[in-house]
Amino acid sequence: MVADSYDVVVVGAGGDGPVAAWKLAEAGLSVLIIEAGPFHGNEKWPNPHTEPGAEASSDVEDLSGELLDEQFSTREFEMVNRLLFGPADDERGFWMRKFPGDGAILQCAGVGGTTLHYTGCHPRAYPAAIDEQDHWPIEYADLLPYYREVEELCDVQPAPVTAKEELFFRGAAAAGWEFIDEMNVTRPGYRPQPNAIRQPDDRLHVDGDYDGDFTYPDVTGHTLGLGDITGSPHPRGAPFEEKAKRASNVSFVPAAMRTGNVTIRPNAFVVDVTTETHLGDRPTATGVTFRDTWSGTTTEVGAEVVVLAAGAIETPRLWMNADLPKNEWVGRGLTIHFGDNVMGLWKADELEATLGKPTIDQHEGENIAARFDYPGLGMLQTVGTTPGIGAILGFGASASGFSFQNDTEDAPWDTMGRLAGTELKRILSNYRRMIQVLVVSDDRPMKRNGVSVQKGAEDEHGPIPLVNYAPSEADRRRRDELAEIATEILREAGASHVHRSDSPPTALHLHSTMRMGKVLDQACEAYAVDRLFVADHSALANGVGGPNPTNTGQALAARTAEKIVTRYF
Amino acid sequence: MYQKNALRRVRTFLAEKARWIRTIRRRVLGRKCADRPGDLHTRVTFRAAVDAVLPNTPELEAEIGADHVPGGNDVGLAEFVAIYVDHRFQLGLPRTRRNVELVKPVANVLDAAALKLIARGNNRDEPSDEWPVKLFDGTDVSPARIADVAGPFARLSPKDRLRAINVLDEIEAQVTLRNGRFVEFDGGLVGQLVVGFAELIYYSEWQGYPDVTRMPFGQDHANDPTTVQGWRQTGFPGFSNGYPCLRGYLGTETGPLGSGDVWTTIDDRGDAPVSLLEAPGRFRENEYDTDDYEEPYPEGGD
Repeated sequence: MVADSYDVVVVGAGGDGPVAAWKLAEAGLSVLIIEAGPFHGNEKWPNPHTEPGAEASSDVEDLSGELLDEQFSTREFEMVNRLLFGPADDERGFWMRKFPGDGAILQCAGVGGTTLHYTGCHPRAYPAAIDEQDHWPIEYADLLPYYREVEELCDVQPAPVTAKEELFFRGAAAAGWEFIDEMNVTRPGYRPQPNAIRQPDDRLHVDGDYDGDFTYPDVTGHTLGLGDITGSPHPRGAPFEEKAKRASNVSFVPAAMRTGNVTIRPNAFVVDVTTETHLGDRPTATGVTFRDTWSGTTTEVGAEVVVLAAGAIETPRLWMNADLPKNEWVGRGLTIHFGDNVMGLWKADELEATLGKPTIDQHEGENIAARFDYPGLGMLQTVGTTPGIGAILGFGASASGFSFQNDTEDAPWDTMGRLAGTELKRILSNYRRMIQVLVVSDDRPMKRNGVSVQKGAEDEHGPIPLVNYAPSEADRRRRDELAEIATEILREAGASHVHRSDSPPTALHLHSTMRMGKVLDQACEAYAVDRLFVADHSALANGVGGPNPTNTGQALAARTAEKIVTRYF
Repeated sequence: MYQKNALRRVRTFLAEKARWIRTIRRRVLGRKCADRPGDLHTRVTFRAAVDAVLPNTPELEAEIGADHVPGGNDVGLAEFVAIYVDHRFQLGLPRTRRNVELVKPVANVLDAAALKLIARGNNRDEPSDEWPVKLFDGTDVSPARIADVAGPFARLSPKDRLRAINVLDEIEAQVTLRNGRFVEFDGGLVGQLVVGFAELIYYSEWQGYPDVTRMPFGQDHANDPTTVQGWRQTGFPGFSNGYPCLRGYLGTETGPLGSGDVWTTIDDRGDAPVSLLEAPGRFRENEYDTDDYEEPYPEGGD
């Protein structure tokens, strides 16, 4: 049951909200987490997509690995549609947003939020992005203790190497880049991903003779079967907390529930933040109103402190729809790591010579396990995908039309743009001899880019988020240089054909729409509303330099929770 | 010569436009198919899009094998793309407000793009009824009926259909409103839908569900790679719980990232070769100094 009031209400059980909830609950506070999407792997919701189930869950014993196995099929088309931002009800479509440019926003709904389809990548920010880029009011050193705390709870470890990573590392080394074995990266180079994924059983070595099942308890840790983007139940058969990928539903949610102080209310969309304003004073947050996504009924719940953790799109949307005081930076300064995809294709005999087999087999291993860092530009990472996701990311979407219309004679890549027809089918027939490199650029917060709302463009939760984004010229140049480096690495690794997507602004990583120093103070409390805090990626002052933002978002959320306890309890 | 071409262009455009206008009444008032979103015009248009993006490719048989010949329309992809768009992109609220169908507007936008391509004279082939009629070979829909409802997009050759989709890519607007709000719009979204989503669905597990006219939710899947055309054409072996494919951990023998036997050497340039080692280690918690940081591409202040 949801009570009338709590010490703290956290809006959103995504990557960051459960971190704040865990820290607050450890300090003895009562916490309600309200989540718009479903709660997978919980006995209170055995059929989370076809019936409303229970109201809330507060007992860690409700968590069930068996249900997670059943609900996370790893089938890409089914799971992408299940997890992307929309209501639990199978009969309903996605919640509408206006996408940036001709791109898309890839966020998830549900307990675990977008960490349900993240690939476990948990690097820290580049120190220079925080200490030298002039966006942050705090220093990188302030985050270090929180990084360590988060990394320990999520089991952040160097990712294992399979064929696709070996090929990438060989290319990076041959292109002259240095090897990095550090957490705090200040120079360009290649290294394994620091992944929040438990390492595979050493019996899964390619030279071994393992022919058993890839299920628990025969094996523990990652089973090297692709599935991180589609929720990842691996190893199947494992208890909920023994799943290899430490998405926030597997790591922080159980830790928070185990305190006995946390209740999670899924299928509930927060539509209002209630405030009180004493004469001549700033408003003070007093609670929230949420709408049940199955029944449509609304409920008001009170709180001493409200924490917004609905993500970089929904947090500013909620602020604007709740009619909280205007601030010129609310919703502004969006960064999305303006990205691209560069694909390398190999001939079978080349692979035989390098890898000892005629295929790369990108469907084996972790999705993303090798990376290239370049502070000031961003990063590259290898991506293994199942063929459908690989097709749309690598070949199906482009900002520069079809490949047959683009002249690449003077370009480093052989083809660029969308592929279709015979050309597409020919290239996809090389799926097992292909690697995708994701280009992730360090785009900078521009006031023009962000989230706004417009009366009339509404869904059941009020005006929908209108996301507008155009990269700066410098953002484009950073991305171009990274795409060139990716191409060189792939060529050095022996690729016979390199294709660049020139992807549209696809938002996988979203940050900095409620920036610390602009909308929030150094404790991430809103300047304009007392007792209203933000603990999600919108609070980040920039895109952390390009590295995957989950670790930094969670570290900042942990720090914010400590500030809340000190300031108000 | 130029005059003759220009005249031919104008004539083609006017003829296509006239045809299109004549079909509006049928398209707007057209009978809705009982079992699928949209009407016959929508179906013809979506089949034309799929035929351009994932065609039947007999030319690939000699090159990479007979498995690579069938295309999207051989497995009902166009019909499912329409169902998918209708199901996942809902405007309005099911059960309380009527859902607004998006498939018809998408088909009409493709027709408008085709007319623009023709008006510019950028189509390489003459529009023809033969294209849409061919899309329904072997079905019970009569050629006369197809010719009757086909819009200009479906009447283009496959390559010209892609050119028409590209016309949408060129529609971009960026405006800063008087209140300082920045708004951008990009017509390329329609292209991403009919190209990107068609590719995602085709190469995914979709064709392996018992009922390919429904969303996958609640359906079993045999995970048999021989029954999914997109998997046969990529060599994807189906979903697996795991693989014994570990090669080791990247590191140096003197560093903290890995330990144990060297499986292979990646980089032997330095004093400590970078190798794949037997056992994992930890990243180094290094001291850091950012004083030397230089901005490769400083922002120009926009």
